[in-house]
Amino acid sequence: MSEPEAHSVLPHEVPLPPRVDLWTAAVFFAAGVAVVYASWLMPRFQEQLGQIYTAPGLVPALYGTVITLLALWLAARSIGRGALKRGAATTRTRREGYSATRLVLAAALCLAFAVGMVGRLPFWAATAIFVFLFIVLFEWRQGQAWRERALRLLTAALIAGGTGLVVTMVFQRVFLVRLP
Amino acid sequence: MLEGFSQFGSAFAGFMTLGTLVNVLWATFLGIVIGALPGLTATMGVALMTTLTFTMGRDQAILVLVCVYVGAIYGGSRSAILLNIPGTPASACSTLDGFPLARQGLAGRAMGISTSGSWLGTLFGIMCVALFTPLLAEAALSFQSYEFFWIGVFGIVIAGTLAGGDPLKGYIAGFLGLWIATIGQEPHYNYHRFTYGWADLSGGIGLLPALVGVFGVAEVLTAMRGPAYRVTSKAVDSILPRLADVWQYKRTIFRSGAIGTFIGVLPGLGEDTAAWSSYAAARRTSKEKEKFGKGSVEGLMAAETGESACVPGAIIPVLTLAVPGSAPAAALMAAIMIHDFRPGPMLMIETPQLFYQIVAMLVIADMAKLVFGLTLVRPLLWILLVPRERLMPIIFVLCTVGAFAITQRVFDIYVMLFFGLVGFVLRELKFPMPPLILGLVLGELLEQNLTRGLVISSGDVTPFFTRPVSGVLAAITIFSILWSIPPAQRKIKAGVRGLFGRRQSPA
Repeated sequence: MSEPEAHSVLPHEVPLPPRVDLWTAAVFFAAGVAVVYASWLMPRFQEQLGQIYTAPGLVPALYGTVITLLALWLAARSIGRGALKRGAATTRTRREGYSATRLVLAAALCLAFAVGMVGRLPFWAATAIFVFLFIVLFEWRQGQAWRERALRLLTAALIAGGTGLVVTMVFQRVFLVRLP
Repeated sequence: MLEGFSQFGSAFAGFMTLGTLVNVLWATFLGIVIGALPGLTATMGVALMTTLTFTMGRDQAILVLVCVYVGAIYGGSRSAILLNIPGTPASACSTLDGFPLARQGLAGRAMGISTSGSWLGTLFGIMCVALFTPLLAEAALSFQSYEFFWIGVFGIVIAGTLAGGDPLKGYIAGFLGLWIATIGQEPHYNYHRFTYGWADLSGGIGLLPALVGVFGVAEVLTAMRGPAYRVTSKAVDSILPRLADVWQYKRTIFRSGAIGTFIGVLPGLGEDTAAWSSYAAARRTSKEKEKFGKGSVEGLMAAETGESACVPGAIIPVLTLAVPGSAPAAALMAAIMIHDFRPGPMLMIETPQLFYQIVAMLVIADMAKLVFGLTLVRPLLWILLVPRERLMPIIFVLCTVGAFAITQRVFDIYVMLFFGLVGFVLRELKFPMPPLILGLVLGELLEQNLTRGLVISSGDVTPFFTRPVSGVLAAITIFSILWSIPPAQRKIKAGVRGLFGRRQSPA
């Protein structure tokens, strides 16, 4: 995994294309309508002399309505900014140094640890395996000399083992926290 | 007044034990390290430490959290100065002048300015906490459901308007948070809303796993996706703050302290807004405007003072209204509640000692921050050199432990993951996160007070607008929403110009 180094590139400095906002508005509109519909289906407990102001669906319906209206506002604004014009950008411009591959790899490793390993393996072992894989995969470089690669593997193993041991000991013995 | 001093003295003396001082030192150091490392934020630090310290005595646990909070907001300036990357969002403003100073070979001086500004800013904020919290708490005792409803709505709207970026997306994030808060048992009939037979959802979404997800997991993903950072300046000149700098910019310090504390008091805004507002105010009034953005001592001083004054400021509404002034303060409020205190207007009556203890904790944390600020230069540089590939998996492991620790449910780990992924996507789509978290925190307060108010008034909504405090809060809320709509904003400005124009013309 080779990666470029760069100075500060703050994500919020890069504007989003209006069409992305239009899609976002569509998702929130659908979510808002779904919340209102689900709230409408909730019981009103009138047989228990419940007042309409205490009906379980009242407040979520209010929030759902507001989300729907705000989504319409977002959609109208994005259309005003050219979301429906021919040739309008559908994705944001590529940012230097940002990598979707690294993102997917990090997300997959985190999911594998939290969903696949925690609770199924002893916590120290799950931690050690996760940290080791994370470091090795992200520090993997094409064409590395075997000596350097062996050194990196050894370093990763030491950090992983140390983390598993220290995290388990510190939280169980010092903070008296039960681990999953 | 004298009783207040005596209570503060006894709270302060109570913390003067060796064990407590050791806790202060490691927690402040940890906070500074968390703040300095890009990808780790004050909110994540406080949320994680909340879960990890809940077996400690409650005074010690809250002390540790206050130290982490104070340290983390300060620590962010180190990476802002040395890497040109804000360690926390709050220190983004410090990059503008801190990094140019470092490139001029004045990294040490920049860190000295940051230390003195941050120390004085927090001190100013602490004085405001001590002076205004009892007054606000007394005023809040007269609030009824109508006022608390508007405080909730006002918090969401003001956080959406001023949290940075797009107000419209801020409102959507805020109402999304409010909706998420309705998941689980509702308060009147214990009816399970939006749970669909999933028993784990009946208790609702835990604030801390959500916080750890939004500010921890999302940060890990963001850090791994983005470009690697590198330390630009390893040569550091003297970091001792210069008294001349402090004296020359005393007005800037005072103004930034006041702005920072005021922004802190406003619900959900937080340190980044405080830093940008203080910086903008300093630039407007400066005699050296041309230096701003190119290594201005005044600009850096303003940003650092503002963000650090915001920390105590954000604690004021926690203690008086149970409304957090910033995202880390939301985590702190959750911790205060976990330890069986009841933040809000009754706190000064039920457990007044907590107020004095928190003032004492802030003073102690500020002093520890000063000590570390003057001594920790090389160790922090070494920490900044740790590659993210080795740091981030450890952070994720800590997030997992943190999410699990309080209720010991694997379900909370899934909540953390869900909020981490959703938080990452929403941030990529430019949705600010503080309103989302504020919505989650204020959901219960808002719902209970809306329904209670309607029941008391038999469905009549006029008390929500006609009671004096309610009316003012409603007016500010509606004005904030109108102000974020460009055509409405233009009409308001034209109206104000017309009004003043007519008044001036006869003269």
